[in-house]
Amino acid sequence: MSENREPGNDSETRAGRSRERRSVAVGAIAIASLIVVTTALAPMLVSARPANQIPVESVSVDDEPQDPTSDAWDTVPAVDIPLASAPSGVPNASDTTTETVSVQSARSDERFYLRLSWSDETADSNATDPRAFVDAIAVQVPKNTSARPPIAMGNTENPVNLWYWSADGETEELLAGGPGTTTEFEQAAVNTSASHDNGRWTVVMSRDIESDATNRTSLAVDRDVDVAFAVWNGSNMERSGQKSVSEWYHFPLGSGPQGPPYEAILWTIAGLAITGVALVTIHAVRNTRGETR
Amino acid sequence: MTAQDADAGDETVDIAEGIDHQVAMVMDLNKCIGCQTCTVACKSLWTEGGGRDYMYWNNVETKPGKGYPRDWEESGGGWKSDEHGERQPGQIPDQEDYGEAWEFNHEEIMYDGSDQPLRPDGDPEWGPNWDEDQGAGEYPNSYYFYLPRICNHCTHPSCVEACPRKAIYKREEDGIVLIDQERCRGYRYCVEGCPYKKVYYNATQKTSEKCIFCYPRIEGEGPEGETFAPACAEDCPPQLRLVGFLDDEEGPIHKLVEEYEVALPLHPEYRTQPNVYYIPPFAPPQHSEDGETVDVDRIPRTYLEELFGEGVHDALDTIERERDKVDRGGSSELLDMLTDTNPARKYRLEVFD
Repeated sequence: MSENREPGNDSETRAGRSRERRSVAVGAIAIASLIVVTTALAPMLVSARPANQIPVESVSVDDEPQDPTSDAWDTVPAVDIPLASAPSGVPNASDTTTETVSVQSARSDERFYLRLSWSDETADSNATDPRAFVDAIAVQVPKNTSARPPIAMGNTENPVNLWYWSADGETEELLAGGPGTTTEFEQAAVNTSASHDNGRWTVVMSRDIESDATNRTSLAVDRDVDVAFAVWNGSNMERSGQKSVSEWYHFPLGSGPQGPPYEAILWTIAGLAITGVALVTIHAVRNTRGETR
Repeated sequence: MTAQDADAGDETVDIAEGIDHQVAMVMDLNKCIGCQTCTVACKSLWTEGGGRDYMYWNNVETKPGKGYPRDWEESGGGWKSDEHGERQPGQIPDQEDYGEAWEFNHEEIMYDGSDQPLRPDGDPEWGPNWDEDQGAGEYPNSYYFYLPRICNHCTHPSCVEACPRKAIYKREEDGIVLIDQERCRGYRYCVEGCPYKKVYYNATQKTSEKCIFCYPRIEGEGPEGETFAPACAEDCPPQLRLVGFLDDEEGPIHKLVEEYEVALPLHPEYRTQPNVYYIPPFAPPQHSEDGETVDVDRIPRTYLEELFGEGVHDALDTIERERDKVDRGGSSELLDMLTDTNPARKYRLEVFD
């Protein structure tokens, strides 16, 4: 840098100019680095899809997606969703064991599929003892998908649908308008199939995309659909409000552009714009200072 | 007119808020012979099959003893204080503590000509009444008595408070505690919350079930439209039970519980305020080694106090005093009530109409 130094009238101004030059140079390097970093990292960031989104892939019924071990699921990306103890007044509510549920989602022309997989060493599939409880998982979607209800099982204004599978083979479809209010639909429209292998449950749930039944969520919508999950570990005597729950996630069921390419373009444009504005500003400041001197 | 109206300004009976009347039962432990007829009456009416085989909504256990389910008195539940704000944590008993419903070798003995003794299949190590008649103390001063138990239909039922779905409730007209089988999802918080362990999980129905105070009988839902007392009471050979409303001031229950205070709740320290009351048991005094009667209680008062609370001393003293009065040729309303054999007075069925 010293070779670029211009000759000055006295040593004081020389030192001052030198400081200005140095700071401009540091700024330019920082911006250059930012561009490099943005270019390098942005694709990695955006390939991780928007927060709390569960992508919905297309699947053919011929590939038997209802089977938890079907190859149809090999190409469907899985979202690992963290779980935490639900806030609840029941005894031992904070004592839960399941920390993550892995969720995949796909749709055929007619049906919507969810493949849920979580770690549980013991398959607790019958409750014939008074102290025995079964493993279970539930999926929660708003009845009215245009508004997000309270996550703890909705409320009376904005109830939720629950698809509940328990390891004794029972599947229930429930309506709830707040904790303690679950009411069973007379006929469940949700199919489930499950397997327990290598200390993991894998459960596939499916339902018709369309629904015109009262109180049953229609998935034939052009918007994001909120979804949340709950898991119960039977051998830890988990039931009711003693459960591991997720926060709200969503299925991108809107018709707009979706996924990494669209996001990547947006991020690139935004990044370039920010960098450009910064460069122009610094340049202008530098010129202004040069003029006054 | 509700009980509260009747009692307004005349503070007497403490029944639950929002309840018109409170069913109650008094059981005189001095009359119980441990025959289990009440148990069988209840079982054959309500808990045969359908996942209910192990359940005894009514049981009779030997005291001192571990009871049914085993060690239920150590299983927690109830309230931490008389404010009824915070519940005491409780446990769901193990199946082994209830005991299984045994299968017997009837087939072999009755039809196949086996000369084996009649016995249960398998090798059970516990069951209801496993310690029957065992009691405590040493010869010649051993002692025991029988304790029939049903749901106490408590004034402050901790089972009701325990349910996150409000599936278990105290019904308004008579305070009977019932489980709405449509709402129950088998979480069993009521099972662990009841300190008397009188709610049972039905693994076949996947719901919890309990004593219903034979409400269809007291409502006159029988074949002839007649009203009956609960089956455990009606079928009791020594007729040791009184049935009615606690707040029916004309009935013997109110007099025994509220006026004479000789009928006591079991384990009042659980703070649920039970509505089954017991006349505490008397026993002959202890004997010396050479067979002489000595002036020492055979059933230790401390033990009775553990079961029935501090009130047991006054209760026993009151009964003894009234007895002496009758011995001297006097009359006693209290002893008349305790020895009454008139079903119409023992079962105040008219109050249920």
